[in-house]
Amino acid sequence: MGTSTIVWLFVAAFGASALGGALGMASGIFIVPILTLLFGVDIHVAIGASIVSVIACSCGSAAPFLKERLTNIRLAIVLETATTLGALTGVFLIGIISTAFLYGLFAIILAVSAQQMLARRREVVYAEPSNVRSWATVLRLHSSFPDRTLGRDVHYRVRRVPLGLSLMYGAGLISALLGIGSGVLKIPAMDTALRLPIKVSSATSNFMIGVTAAASGGAYFMRGNINVGIAGPVALGSVLGALIGARLLMGLPADKLRIFFVIVLALLAIQMFLIAFGVHISGAPA
Amino acid sequence: MTPMADNYKHREQIFAALLWYGTWFASTIIAVGMILGGFGDTHSSRIFGLSGYDFVKGGVAFFILLPIARVALMMSIFLRERDYAYTIISIVVLVIIGVGILISI
Repeated sequence: MGTSTIVWLFVAAFGASALGGALGMASGIFIVPILTLLFGVDIHVAIGASIVSVIACSCGSAAPFLKERLTNIRLAIVLETATTLGALTGVFLIGIISTAFLYGLFAIILAVSAQQMLARRREVVYAEPSNVRSWATVLRLHSSFPDRTLGRDVHYRVRRVPLGLSLMYGAGLISALLGIGSGVLKIPAMDTALRLPIKVSSATSNFMIGVTAAASGGAYFMRGNINVGIAGPVALGSVLGALIGARLLMGLPADKLRIFFVIVLALLAIQMFLIAFGVHISGAPA
Repeated sequence: MTPMADNYKHREQIFAALLWYGTWFASTIIAVGMILGGFGDTHSSRIFGLSGYDFVKGGVAFFILLPIARVALMMSIFLRERDYAYTIISIVVLVIIGVGILISI
């Protein structure tokens, strides 16, 4: 691979990550479309490179959440049993399912992400008392986090752990198959099933993504399915983009950026759908 | 309540430090590898007998190992706190990851 390609891979990953970071979203979902559609990389190679950058971004951004005590560590490890099992299933399946199916599935996930980005997340307060003998109580998952605006600790209770676990299994499976962090599935699981406060949900989800991606990433690495020449610059670009770039772009108007992302996600979804059904547009791999 | 809270805080600082310094270590190795392999004298630049490719590969492998090391660290902390239920849950996660790697060799 030429020096210029390496530089462009780095720049593309940095840009996607910085723009994503400015909106507080993970950029993992953009890596595979960028690599396949712009660079003409095989989708399996793109998935391998993307999973490494997903791990890098999760590890790089975990520290501030942990220091602010937003991450629910117990809940994370409980849910990681389901996400890693899902990832393991994905590792088995990825060799069997067709490339067209992967493109189709990716298109669906892109479309759902666009819809989620448009809808935004809302904090909902649930008043009904939780069951004393629930899984969350037995596993001591209820916790609190310091809310800066209120200036005190806010206590919260975790609900419907079995439903959360099954959704997390699906998130792990999708993560391994598509090389993404699967925030698209984790966020509804955490907000709707477990009913966590948004800050706790974001921090805990981010913390779990690294382990989930490492479960499939480790397997792909041992199989020799990770092209280091592509994965290296993409991971470095993503992690620097998330850490440095997002700060540089803080001043951008969030609402316009959000609309821009929705349009980009929708366009990528259409293009991935076309490839899934055998229609090739210039630049896409034949 | 207070010693328990301090304990949690301490634990979170350890995880934060591991992931933060680990990220910078892996990123630096990848950057060194890219400079050696991509921008230096092609194929001739080596440090400690390692090529740019070796450095990038090492950095990528380090990134993959980092979250796994975090789970192993959690397991040892839970074990020290005699929290056996969570020690077992951590072991289950490590075993699942281990199975994926073993079947791929």
